Amino acid sequence: MEIRPILSALLRNRAGAILVALQIAITLAIVVNAIYVTQQRVEKIGRPTGMDDQNIFSFTVTGFEKNFDFQAMVRDDMAMLRQMPGIVDAAPIRQVPLSGSGSSTGFFSLPNQKGEQSPANYYSTDEHGINTLGTKLSGGATFEPGMIEFRNEDKQGFPATAIISQGLAKALFKDKAALGNTFYDDQSKPYRVVGVIQHIHGSWVGWDKVDRVMLSPLVGPGPGTQYIVRTQPGEIDRVMTATETALRKRDPNRVVGKLRKMSDYKKRSYAGDSFMAVTLTTVTGLVLVFSALGIFGLATFNVNNRTRQIGTRRAVGARKRDIVRHFMTENWMVTTLGVLVGCILALGAGFWLSNQYQMPRLDLYYLLGGVLGLWAVGQFAAWQPSRRAAKVSPAMATRNI
Amino acid sequence: MFAYYLRLALASFRRNPGLTALMVFAIALGISVCMITLTSYRAAANNPAGDRSSILFAPSIDNWDPEQPYEQYDKTLAPTMLTYRDAKALYESNIPDRKLIMYKAGGIVSRADKGMEPEYIAARMTTADFFPMFQVPFLYGGSWDGKADIGPEPVVVLSKEMNRKAFGGVNSVGKSIVWHDREFRVIGVLDDFEPLPKYFDVSNGSFTDMEDAYIPFAWGPVLELGSDGNTNCWKTETIDSYKAFLNSECIWFHGWFELRTADKQRAFREFLDNYVVDQKKHGRFPRPLNNYLYDVDGWLKRNKVVEDDNKAVLVMAFAFLAVCLVNTIGLLLAKFLNGAPQSGVRRALGASRRDIFLQHLTESGVVALAGGIVGGLLGVTGIWALRAYYGRFVEDAPKLLPFDEINFVIVVAIAVFAGLIAGLYPAWRIGRAAPASYLKVQ
Repeated sequence: MEIRPILSALLRNRAGAILVALQIAITLAIVVNAIYVTQQRVEKIGRPTGMDDQNIFSFTVTGFEKNFDFQAMVRDDMAMLRQMPGIVDAAPIRQVPLSGSGSSTGFFSLPNQKGEQSPANYYSTDEHGINTLGTKLSGGATFEPGMIEFRNEDKQGFPATAIISQGLAKALFKDKAALGNTFYDDQSKPYRVVGVIQHIHGSWVGWDKVDRVMLSPLVGPGPGTQYIVRTQPGEIDRVMTATETALRKRDPNRVVGKLRKMSDYKKRSYAGDSFMAVTLTTVTGLVLVFSALGIFGLATFNVNNRTRQIGTRRAVGARKRDIVRHFMTENWMVTTLGVLVGCILALGAGFWLSNQYQMPRLDLYYLLGGVLGLWAVGQFAAWQPSRRAAKVSPAMATRNI
Repeated sequence: MFAYYLRLALASFRRNPGLTALMVFAIALGISVCMITLTSYRAAANNPAGDRSSILFAPSIDNWDPEQPYEQYDKTLAPTMLTYRDAKALYESNIPDRKLIMYKAGGIVSRADKGMEPEYIAARMTTADFFPMFQVPFLYGGSWDGKADIGPEPVVVLSKEMNRKAFGGVNSVGKSIVWHDREFRVIGVLDDFEPLPKYFDVSNGSFTDMEDAYIPFAWGPVLELGSDGNTNCWKTETIDSYKAFLNSECIWFHGWFELRTADKQRAFREFLDNYVVDQKKHGRFPRPLNNYLYDVDGWLKRNKVVEDDNKAVLVMAFAFLAVCLVNTIGLLLAKFLNGAPQSGVRRALGASRRDIFLQHLTESGVVALAGGIVGGLLGVTGIWALRAYYGRFVEDAPKLLPFDEINFVIVVAIAVFAGLIAGLYPAWRIGRAAPASYLKVQ
């Protein structure tokens, strides 16, 4: 391959070549890091929640009159909701997974704060909680009605049984079977595991222990709680309207809060991540288009400026193939200069991002992919101008421009 | 002369409309992305305390777990909220010019005469100085005084919105609402009041809505009201009553102190240290002495109100703008060289290199100005679309992405500045070209 003449041709339009190379360099730095960050966010958003999150909604219900009968309210509301058409199941729950609002506390595998230790998101609900959330048990069963405790006042500690997630089970019991086993809170109160949930997410999606969850057979403390309702697929909007009307009609003497879809909570919890992903994807797409345009522009400019030279080469025997190859190689050299500088920029930017903003260090495969990708984009953008160059007639050599 | 350059620039655009549009478009896209990310960054980076930022202080004292620090990402930091005991103790200090302690509680508000639909509201339980310290505007009536804090007297200040819901927006001073089975007399109604970010309580969300009512702090313990926001505990302790909860190491209170002079600030820092040293004698504060006193600016930074994502995405946006500009340099260069013969004629007729340079720089500036305006408008459209999409499930979306004409001005200025930088080399190069070579072929 005749590199020397290509190089000297390139050097005649240094400024143009340097500009395109610089553009490719910054593009590589942006694209590689943006795709890497986007990839992580998309993965995070796409994690399964373990729940039927598209068909669940929730709301608060609070009594306020003196001598309000909290237990009767929950009992009667539940009896009504569970037989309404379109509703799969309903349950009282103190806080709602994925909502961003939750409580956590530490648990231990042995009394006196000994053994394995793990924090967990806890949710107070009744025997319908498991089915309403749409979670699957990998062992045991949901609570028995007799286990459920109603509370009117806030009190430390939980009732004696618990359903825990596989994530929490692993943290507390390692490889031992969790079902039937006992764990303890920081006051050494024991809890017997009656069920293990395959997988479920708690309230804070940004928490690295989001899959450590405990369900407790507890309703209250009064006078308020939240209700979660799971509907048949596609019925959620209709059921929400019907539920609001039915609850007000049954007893207007309490305050029913705004009905919210779990899918909206989920989107809200991931809003920052999705905003990041959307912005970075847009930037990535645009910056690639711009680089392609830049390369295309440079190649076109060079071809236009050298029509006579190309004609001369054709006249003295260069085949069309040789002309195409000349311009493709020239372009490849510019792109390569760009990606070389770009690698340094990309690594620097990646290092800076991970250092400054606690993001994971850039994966080198992404860099490799970016280099190959930009080479491809460069060749693609230069193809049409090169083909046009090859069409220049040898007769051009004789013309005076 | 400038007007003449402008005319030449417009003539040049007419000669090459496609290339000109491409340049405007390139700058516009870069600017629009900058506009969106800058808007979200500036909304979070705002300091609403203004010139009071440097005299309002929030303490952060380290009562946390001896086994692990409060923040995993920076082990030197202390908790951002206070225990009840510490809040009360710091409030006793006579050093500050003004002082307050507060927390957020919830409950259902109604009217004894059933004149309103009962509703769950968030209330700020605070001492009296809240209103002068944060310069809270009143529509009707006024705030309570220190005496009402001690009683405590059953008084309440309503937000404008709450007054609208409860009393139809009329002057309700002297009327009453019922909250936690007790009547509270309205003594004031606020005008619009929403500092963004909500700097005095970022622990419960920097952009969450303002509270609906303000009630003397001492009612909290009397009515045994827990926190309606974040509560953090680290210690293993038996909490079997509200009193035990108040005495626990759980944090859910904020304190703010107005310290107008450097002397007072120094004295208050000393006071904090002395207090903690004294508490250590009673077996509390197991960690090494580690106290902070933040002014508003420091407090917003400490609480990372501007998130890392905000900054990272802003950097990416400006890098993208850089690519757009490099692209523009290339296009300008091609365009100017294309018009070189004309410049040659101008040179031959007596225009200096400087004239040619300025003429082309003007042209770059005009292209950039157009790109900036188009980009700004694209950015506004983008913000509008993002708000429409995210607003359906993020209540705070309009506050996180506000329409702010200042942002438009900033990005247009950035565009023009960047466009002039981009035009430097091409304009210099064309100004340097020898006129003779272009005259030959004409």
